Amino acid sequence: MYALLQRLDRLAYAVAPGLAIAALILCSLVPVRVPWLPAIAPLLPLMAVYHFSLTRPEALPRPALLLLGLAFDLLQGGPGTPIGVSALQFLLMSEVVAANRRFVAELSAFFLWFGYAALAAAAVAMAWLALSGLAATIIDPRPALAQYVVSLFVYPILGWVLGRGPARDPFNPTTGPGGRA
Amino acid sequence: MALRDTVSSTAGSFATLVRRFALTLVVLAAVGAMLVGKADTVIVERVRAAAMDLVTPVLDAAAEPVAAVNDFVAQLRDVTNLRTENARLREENARLLEWQSVARRLEAENIELRALSNFKDGPRARFVTARVVGDSGSAFMRSLLLNIGRRGGAMPGQAVVTADGLIGRIVEAGEVSSRILLVTDINFKLPVMIERTRERAILQGDNSPRPRLARFQAVGGIQSGDRIVTSGDGGSFPPGLAVGAVASVGDGGIRVTPVADGTRLELVRIVDYGVTGLVTNPPPPPPPTHPVRGR
Repeated sequence: MYALLQRLDRLAYAVAPGLAIAALILCSLVPVRVPWLPAIAPLLPLMAVYHFSLTRPEALPRPALLLLGLAFDLLQGGPGTPIGVSALQFLLMSEVVAANRRFVAELSAFFLWFGYAALAAAAVAMAWLALSGLAATIIDPRPALAQYVVSLFVYPILGWVLGRGPARDPFNPTTGPGGRA
Repeated sequence: MALRDTVSSTAGSFATLVRRFALTLVVLAAVGAMLVGKADTVIVERVRAAAMDLVTPVLDAAAEPVAAVNDFVAQLRDVTNLRTENARLREENARLLEWQSVARRLEAENIELRALSNFKDGPRARFVTARVVGDSGSAFMRSLLLNIGRRGGAMPGQAVVTADGLIGRIVEAGEVSSRILLVTDINFKLPVMIERTRERAILQGDNSPRPRLARFQAVGGIQSGDRIVTSGDGGSFPPGLAVGAVASVGDGGIRVTPVADGTRLELVRIVDYGVTGLVTNPPPPPPPTHPVRGR
């Protein structure tokens, strides 16, 4: 019984980041009319990808990020809209974070926030370029810019919420946050 | 034995190759998906519809609590605007009473004229009311998800209206869900006319809250406030359906304010006029004459 619980618990711990991103993708589709919320909702999954790439990179394998991004794109747009842009955003964001893990390990929250600002700017700019290129017109960048700016204020809150996950796993005392013993 | 060794060593080197180029492979997959999505094949449409059908029941289940939150926010906003709203409604009421008398007179006249000319009415429209369960969730698209699909009678190409007029058209229909492209979306184009002057134009969205009038010849006669209605050209929608009003006429072109703010809708009506002249999507490509040979 204890072994089963332990295994279930380990499983839950392993898939938690992926499920959190999937849940945020669903949240971003809910038509809530609270002022300012729709403005940032589409960037919530990207924030979560950044957060978990920092804290739990082993729980976000590349194929999972690819699938989550493709699902997000499929749900966002109608016929003719490109799929794969979010997938590319997720993948590149997690790769850049992974490549700089040695440096980000000791950084303060402020610099992590700064990192989010820089990477999200690049991701949003890339999406805008890709969508404009594929549509062969210049899409108005202002809504995306507004979204980005508002997301800068929301990231610390979301990061804090996501960081409230189990700090220490009750059934697996050897695996702390980060999952590596 | 030698064969088994060869197979296992080949599999091993293949696995190493995949591992080494894992990033390249997934990035290529994402870029490939972009191109495939743009090409808009039947398979992509099926996958899209399946994804929509999968998620819509979840969003539909969340619709009640979401509506409660939205009502609460709307009430807060209403309380702050009570006085100005009251004044506006009084004025509007006075104006509408005048219109009512005009409409009564015209209705009587219309009945009389129809009787005289043996007028034959067009086909009656069929309405299905649907709940908005999802936004597009993107800064680059303007669309909504509805909880009615093919089973409920929704088909691509149908008009979606509110009490005020047209808000968009259905572009994609799954079994239990469908997607509306709003008039403000960059991919939305619709033949319209200026109600007052009967001049034709194309209404074209550009993701801004105010779509513009394109391919419009005589700019002189148009005024701010003119009503824009569907022209019926192309056979997609019946003529005379309200779309919006001219907001501004200037160097940047003619801008139109749509009848309803697409981001504040909760319930909409799908209208089946029984006319499907204009197909939203290009027809599927003809099957290849020469079978593609595998390598």
